[in-house]
Amino acid sequence: MSVELVTVTVDDRRVQVPKGTGLVEAAQAAGIEIPVFCYEPRLGPPIGACRMCLVEIEGIPKLQAGCTLTVQEGMVVRTAQTSAKAAEGQEATLEFILVNHPLDCPVCDKGGECPLQDLTFRYGPGATRMRFRKLTFDKPIPLSPLIALDRERCILCYRCTRFSEEVAEDGQLVARNRGARSEIATFEDVPYRAPFTGNVIELCPVGALTSTLYRFEGRPWDTQEVPTVCAACPVGCNVTATIREGKVKRILSRNHPEIDRGWLCDKGRFTYPYLRAGDRITAPLRRGPRGLAETTWEEALDAAEELLREAGAGTVTALSGSETTEIAYALGRLLRVGLGAHSAVLPEATSDALEAFRLPLSAIAEAELVVVVGDDPVVERAPIVDLWLREARRRGAEIAVFGPTGTHPLGPGGAAEACRRLADPGHELGRRLRAAERAVLIWSGPGGGGGARVAELAHALGFEGKPGCGAFHLPASPNARGVAMAWAAAADEDEAEVEHVRLLFVSGDDAASDPAVRALAERADATIVVTMFHGLAAGWADLILPATGWLEREGTSMNLEGRLQRLRRAVLPPCPDELGWISELAARFGVEVSPYAALVYEEVAARLFRDLSLAELGLRAPLPARKPYAAPPPATTPASQPAAPAEEEPFLGTLRLLRYRPLFSGPAVERVPELQFQRPAREVALSEADAERRGIVSGDRVLLRSNGTSVELRARVDRALVEGVARVAEEHALDLHAEVEVVKA
Amino acid sequence: MPAEPLELLMAGTAEHDLTTLEGYRAVGGYAALAKARAMEPQAVIDEITAATIRGRGGAGFPMGRKASLLAKDRGPVYLVVNADESEPGAFKDRDVMRFTPHRLIEGCLITAHGIESRSVFVYIRGEYLHEFEVLRRALAEAREAGLLGDVTIVLHRGAGAYICGEETALLESLEGRRGQPRPRPPFPPVVGLYGRPTQINNVSTIALVPKVIELGAEEFAKIGVPSAPGTAVFSISGNVARPGNYERPLGIPLRELVYDVAGGIAGGRRLKAVIPGGSSVPVLTPEELDTPMDYDSIQAAGSFFGSAAIIVVDDRCCMVQLALRAAQFYMHESCGKCTPCRVGTRWLVQLLTKIEEGRGAPADLDLLDDVCERMLGKSLCALGDFAVYPVSSYLRKYRDEFEAHVELGRCPFGGESSLEGIVAPVEQHVHALPADAGVPEAAPL
Repeated sequence: MSVELVTVTVDDRRVQVPKGTGLVEAAQAAGIEIPVFCYEPRLGPPIGACRMCLVEIEGIPKLQAGCTLTVQEGMVVRTAQTSAKAAEGQEATLEFILVNHPLDCPVCDKGGECPLQDLTFRYGPGATRMRFRKLTFDKPIPLSPLIALDRERCILCYRCTRFSEEVAEDGQLVARNRGARSEIATFEDVPYRAPFTGNVIELCPVGALTSTLYRFEGRPWDTQEVPTVCAACPVGCNVTATIREGKVKRILSRNHPEIDRGWLCDKGRFTYPYLRAGDRITAPLRRGPRGLAETTWEEALDAAEELLREAGAGTVTALSGSETTEIAYALGRLLRVGLGAHSAVLPEATSDALEAFRLPLSAIAEAELVVVVGDDPVVERAPIVDLWLREARRRGAEIAVFGPTGTHPLGPGGAAEACRRLADPGHELGRRLRAAERAVLIWSGPGGGGGARVAELAHALGFEGKPGCGAFHLPASPNARGVAMAWAAAADEDEAEVEHVRLLFVSGDDAASDPAVRALAERADATIVVTMFHGLAAGWADLILPATGWLEREGTSMNLEGRLQRLRRAVLPPCPDELGWISELAARFGVEVSPYAALVYEEVAARLFRDLSLAELGLRAPLPARKPYAAPPPATTPASQPAAPAEEEPFLGTLRLLRYRPLFSGPAVERVPELQFQRPAREVALSEADAERRGIVSGDRVLLRSNGTSVELRARVDRALVEGVARVAEEHALDLHAEVEVVKA
Repeated sequence: MPAEPLELLMAGTAEHDLTTLEGYRAVGGYAALAKARAMEPQAVIDEITAATIRGRGGAGFPMGRKASLLAKDRGPVYLVVNADESEPGAFKDRDVMRFTPHRLIEGCLITAHGIESRSVFVYIRGEYLHEFEVLRRALAEAREAGLLGDVTIVLHRGAGAYICGEETALLESLEGRRGQPRPRPPFPPVVGLYGRPTQINNVSTIALVPKVIELGAEEFAKIGVPSAPGTAVFSISGNVARPGNYERPLGIPLRELVYDVAGGIAGGRRLKAVIPGGSSVPVLTPEELDTPMDYDSIQAAGSFFGSAAIIVVDDRCCMVQLALRAAQFYMHESCGKCTPCRVGTRWLVQLLTKIEEGRGAPADLDLLDDVCERMLGKSLCALGDFAVYPVSSYLRKYRDEFEAHVELGRCPFGGESSLEGIVAPVEQHVHALPADAGVPEAAPL
């Protein structure tokens, strides 16, 4: 497909660009800067508000806002470089912007990396002619516990409100008042609470929106930037960690246009202070007569060796799915090759079948039809995917959601059945999926064979042959695929059933907080836990080895697209890292494992990734090509049927407890005080009908009871929720069983 | 020879109650609609184009040409009537709606037929409650009489923002959003209301349409001047003997309007200035009084026809005070979207306050002029320019008065009181002024 080109002249330089290109981009192609503040193409159509981009267009008497123009054939443009009028216009804009700006650059977090500072330096007036008192506002105002707003610095570019309204669609940030008294606010000044709020800090071209975690923590000239990849969820957004004096000071986006488009969720952006949590374990702990006590590394490794030797092949390994591929591989070498302990508890099922339907996440935005199946809202499992879906919808795509809160209501566990129905040639939506050129399937929830069921559907719909059609599975853990592959590749033997667990080796906090793993620990003779925090394993581990966080790790991680990405160590961990002691322990069992991630990676890559080098992964990793479809193993258990709502005794009928893991949950989130307001309320969501039958309205205190356990929560009537279900965040559901009785407290 | 008080817009209002369908029919009302509906839609537009109806809202853009720009595809096309008359000094549309609402409705229906639109939205200034009621009753009558056919006319009341008279801000407001202008292009005929091609015209423009159809373009074009045929309702206010609305053909000299039509300056005082098109246009001096009131002539004289709102100022008035009042109004009404207008309007008020209070230095006059120059033509919509025109033109033409303030260290005209009879009390113009308006000068650095 050939693109129609137009020729434009910018400051006497002729440049050819595709028709429809914006003037700012066309000038950039000619190597000329048109300075901007409000213009940001990712925020939707240009608004022409700041007037920084004024240029002269031949044939038009008035200066024009360059950002709002698309180039036309033969257009002759003069920027401030060659037009005195445009230069005067830009200087005028800057003079006006600075009239009320406090110029408190010496104490402003943005100083040194501030577009207003930079553009004033390049285009602005040297002195002010403003001799009146500047506009003043109360400041800083907490927009939320995470974001401080300084209305005096604000230049009203409306980037933040546009993000809120047109990208995240949370509709919370608004402009209030009029004229010089215009100000950014949330409706009725409630805290800005939404999954993606932190992006407005990065969008702000001045120091008006600042992170409360970063405020006064560093200046750009005394920090280092480390490019790495977020490992807080399976999306793997590309990030930059700002480091000062060996500490992570903030996380910024590093725009991978196929993955995150420069957006981050608040979990990825704001959880880094957990690295320095008060209960972080920095030295090994060993259970003695008086309970757990700190011990030296020598003693700890001796103890570990002893436990491992005693247990031998009777060792079972519980993996978190948040390990790097290298850690999982190194553990596999130690435990499988060194001990012959091939039995592992993986965090979740994974499937290679999806490789035949691989697409970049950005393809979702191009889709005409998207079908999401599963029990969990996309935003809770893979937040950035939610933004891609919103963009797809804005571009006119149809989004069909089969789930408990979906457009096609479905009881919990009904997703596999929904996939089967969609594969039926007689199904109306299925027919349209078959016919579509650009369609995407997404499995968002537990079950489904790690993507196998949705891969089967994609296969049935004939997606292999269609480059615009694909399928995704949203795993619960950040590197489930990489960990499973690396563990499998570490030895050739098949997994053996262990009848008596002599030693349970628990790798990581996610495994340590998994109730199934804890149950297994009760049956094990001994337990070694690798964890970052005291609280997680103190009651049941015999030996605790300190773990590292993702910002402290070198290695690779495979995201939900199947894209292998490189993590770089942003800060040193407060303890030796996993590869270090795994290497040492492995040596004691006669297995050679390098303590260096890059060398371990070479070994992994030779077995799994056809010698793909770290250099090839680069700073923005490429997406591997699709592979031929290999039918996954069929479902081992028949898809459960959604429970029918109890009709005969509506007042006594039980509801199915739908547990979900909220985005803002987990050990890291719990350790950042500023993030607590983002955690889910202590509430239970009920459908309108179920609530009405029980005489419950939103805000009522209700009791959830099952098998002698009861939990009191606040009720919220959710009109989108399917009947027969009580939806509760995992952390509030405690040990409630699958069927619960819900009554007013 | 004074022009005949030929009436097109207000025809029949003196003799009949045209607010009722019966009254309007008695003067031949809705005959033009029947005639237009018997014509092909394009023929109606051709007639409007041939009549060269220029937009009475202020810009003077020919209505027919606007209609020809409407993007043609299969989707709906909208007609929006701008009844958000808010310019200080303008009250022409108010009388059109109050006294002859059916003429506006008939104009809407003929235009809708011409552009093949089935949806008409009338965005009426919120403060025009009485006019809204009159229009609503008339619309109900027309609907009951089956005159609307398959056309829906929606009356939408504004909520008190001058900016919503700007066509794209009006569209935003109509869509339920914050009333702020959109960048153009795309222009409303291509992307307008709800993203669809939209024809937007002023009340007085649309209300002329029935007469064009009734008389035929050829006859209509004989009225007024060739570049701008037809009549306009001139709102004459300020220090004249008989302020009010007067419909006259375009091209009538300003002098005739001030002296013959409105009875001249009351009390035998001397004329100082005439603002020909509402508070937002550059001022004219008594020497420029022979300018004919039509778009091109007024523009040649350095001002604008605007909303045909003529504000007459006699020798008691302080031009600094008048500029300050205008600046306060535009500061209050600046929507805050773009930088030059949001910031510049406030800076103008600060400078003018300083000068008016006698604290100004000669350099402040130059700075005032320069701030005006830097605002002019830089804003997203015309409001930024509207805020500049009064200030810069008063300063240019009455600089001696500004200098007198600086030299005397006080206002030689008695300040605020000098505006009596010219503009409404400040509270009505700018509601509660922000507390910081005209704050004292900071200590020099």
